[in-house]
Amino acid sequence: MISAYLESLAGALSFDRSLSRCVRQEVEDHLWEAVAADPISDRLEAERRAIANFGDPHVIAAQFAVISLAKQTRRVGAAVVLVVAGVFIVMKARIEWYAATQWAISDDLKAVGGIVGLIDRYSFWLSVIIGIGAIACISGRRIPAAFHPAYRAQLSRFFLLCAAATAALIVSVISDGVLTALRLFGTELRVGFLVPIFSMAIEIACAGVLVFQIRSLTQRAASTAALLKT
Amino acid sequence: MLKGHLDMIVLAALAAGPAHGYAVIEEIRRKSRQAFDLPEGTIYPALHRLEQAGLLASRWVTAESGRRRRVYALTRRGERALAGHRAVWQQFSDAIGALLTGTRPARKPA
Repeated sequence: MISAYLESLAGALSFDRSLSRCVRQEVEDHLWEAVAADPISDRLEAERRAIANFGDPHVIAAQFAVISLAKQTRRVGAAVVLVVAGVFIVMKARIEWYAATQWAISDDLKAVGGIVGLIDRYSFWLSVIIGIGAIACISGRRIPAAFHPAYRAQLSRFFLLCAAATAALIVSVISDGVLTALRLFGTELRVGFLVPIFSMAIEIACAGVLVFQIRSLTQRAASTAALLKT
Repeated sequence: MLKGHLDMIVLAALAAGPAHGYAVIEEIRRKSRQAFDLPEGTIYPALHRLEQAGLLASRWVTAESGRRRRVYALTRRGERALAGHRAVWQQFSDAIGALLTGTRPARKPA
């Protein structure tokens, strides 16, 4: 009986595997201790009483889901800061390397490079500004006990700002890719090619991490909403 | 009413020292003289939330039964939060007491 209850609780939290595992272990210990403390001799009845006193697994899972969602929100906030900083460092390092090796865009591609460079700069700083707005939206807020409408609205704002910051960052990374291709275009193949290609790979990976974290946030928000409906 | 004070109740139950979830629930029952018989399952999300807020710290131990057990303890921040809750509650209690008995409160409520 306890196993079935634990399965139900852990299953409801399957969107956050580490939390699901942790809650399962913790609740299992609680339920068996409650059974052991029950003076009744009928073990099955003691198990039934322990489960009844513990409460509906879906109601408890919904409370845990709110915490999991808040944790993921903070993780996305941290990812925004780290990814934007990471892309900035990689971008600056690549520019310094171009300067050191005097690797410039060929004259006939300079006009295109100028336009793409502008798009790159504005989209990057736009992502920084929107990212700061997203972090300000959640900073200093405690995890609420319930998924109340004000918290829901705050999460929606945070999600929209993060999505906008990520979109701007992706435009910046694509622009970086175009600028890198313009520099590499028409140049003889050499070992030095690896530096811009490797730096671009880091930028793409950074943007990928952010997209993945935001996707996890939407999945958790959907799971939390579904649990609260049941 | 209890729901709004759950964090304070859990922090107070852990004031005596580290404890696992079941012991926290027992301590709440004992200290409140069975007045607070909360649904047991609601304590665990509260413990997790307080840990996320930095008011509690937890570690896993192996119980005598051989099962893995999560033990919670107040952090410095948790102790300060509990002291704050106590002060506010005392002021509130004095004010309500004075209101009901018709005497003036000893201190001005926050």
